[in-house]
Amino acid sequence: MMNSMNNVEEIIAAVEANFDLLSSDVIDKYQVGLDVNKNEIHRLLIFLKTNGWIQLSYLTAVDWIEENEFELVYIVFNWDKAVHIQIRTRIERDVEKASIETIMPIYPGCKYYEREVHEFFGIKFPGNPDYHKQLILEQFDDLPPLRKDFDPLAYAERKFPKRDYPDKFTNLEGKESEQAKRDVTHERVSKLRTGGTKK
Amino acid sequence: MKEIKLFLGPQHPGMHGNASVHMYIDADIIKKAYMLPGMLHRGFEKGMERHSWVNNIGLIPRVCVVEPDINEFVFAQAAEMMAGIEVPERGQYIRMIILEMARIIAHIMAYGGVGGPTGNYTVMYHAQEDRNRMLYIFEKITGHRVYHMYIVPGGVRKDLPVGIEDDLNEFMDDFEKRYDDYRALVLENPSVLKRITKTIPLPAEVVWELGVTGIGMRSAVNKPYDLRKVKPYLKYDKVEFDVPMMDYSDAKARLECKLIEISQSIRIIRQCLAQMKPGPVRVPLDHGQAMRWRVPKGQVYSSCESARGEFGYFVVSNGGTNPYRVGVRGASYPQGLLGIEKYLPGTRLDDASLWVDTMGVCAPEIDR
Repeated sequence: MMNSMNNVEEIIAAVEANFDLLSSDVIDKYQVGLDVNKNEIHRLLIFLKTNGWIQLSYLTAVDWIEENEFELVYIVFNWDKAVHIQIRTRIERDVEKASIETIMPIYPGCKYYEREVHEFFGIKFPGNPDYHKQLILEQFDDLPPLRKDFDPLAYAERKFPKRDYPDKFTNLEGKESEQAKRDVTHERVSKLRTGGTKK
Repeated sequence: MKEIKLFLGPQHPGMHGNASVHMYIDADIIKKAYMLPGMLHRGFEKGMERHSWVNNIGLIPRVCVVEPDINEFVFAQAAEMMAGIEVPERGQYIRMIILEMARIIAHIMAYGGVGGPTGNYTVMYHAQEDRNRMLYIFEKITGHRVYHMYIVPGGVRKDLPVGIEDDLNEFMDDFEKRYDDYRALVLENPSVLKRITKTIPLPAEVVWELGVTGIGMRSAVNKPYDLRKVKPYLKYDKVEFDVPMMDYSDAKARLECKLIEISQSIRIIRQCLAQMKPGPVRVPLDHGQAMRWRVPKGQVYSSCESARGEFGYFVVSNGGTNPYRVGVRGASYPQGLLGIEKYLPGTRLDDASLWVDTMGVCAPEIDR
């Protein structure tokens, strides 16, 4: 339970001695990030689990569309040393080929996280008996929605009937609405935001 | 024997929120059970990618309805970790007060909610009244009752109003006076005790298999595994409090832990009020241009101890004005989905809603 920077350095040294790390970064004294190859993941997780990282906190994916890769992130936690470890790996982003072996034999608690990642990103987890079943999105028939190339507006237009809204509104006093003016302001403001990309 | 399929929820007094548990029963023994989430899916993770860092503060409290403040806190903490912002001391103490207030009302709701499955509705009315009084205090501090949008990256939105200590003290004194009433209504009530003693136990070895955290884990493994103690964030290392632990986790043990945690939260709030010094509560972002604030590149997992366990956000920034990806680790994910699937079979039909209540399953944070 006692924590200092030592715990973080200790685990990085122990992992470096046994595995080929692509890179590692220390986020703070309670958290480390390790980048490894896809085929090292299971061995590394077994190593960490036997060393006290017995809790799988989270499993998720990130879609790096520009590099054409998915990044899988496994977050494990050791309650006695108080260190969260992010284990990150990259897999290819092809719809058919994006797949990685399940980690259910190591952390059984990952079952529903993997199901969710499959639903939202389309990554396959062979070995997990239920990964392909629908969990949250009912009757969804488009690209997995958390991919960056999924367009919610196009989906909504295809899926739901279009409604016509009148252009001119009058308020209770009979005055015409100033919506057009507000649109201009909104356009000007939205130009200032880059929407996630740095200019 | 013939198997019958039954639904627990979404409209059921024992179910919290819009989710449903499908059960196949034989007489009143559950043979197979699974949770059907998705009735409250609002696409928050996608929505967060489309809003700027500060805009998101208005969106994320909706992730968990009963305890919204933890969302604001972990999101703000993640952004601060990447941007390297140090929150002023008074801001940290105010955050602690808000988080403990939120913990109190979440525990009170769960403790009162046990009135539904056990048929003892009196405790529910007491609990709702107390929650309501706490919501009035929240309204005085933040201007909102349920979703506060008060904790922002850099600190808290504004300082506490003058005289809020009196309101808080009045609530806490009154609650401590009626603490024994709360105990008597559930934990010493013979008719309820028969229903909650030794029902739906959670063995210690199962905890690690499921990944359960929070009260469910601490009542089983008998160790003080609380993130506030293990990796103290804010000023939790400056205040004294105890973490309730048990060595046998049944519905009664978990309810008892909840009640003890309420009294410990009151203790923390009292110490915070005593230790706080006047000063700034927020550092301005990007020279006051908060809407155009950019967060440096990075990937962090920020977590805190919620009423139901470890609650975390995995946040990725690519250096833009919006987050690149936000993943929500709902605290009730393990016990709500895998726990129901694996450990409800074999128990009685009427104990299913006790699991949902005492383990703390929050449907909105499973769906997002």
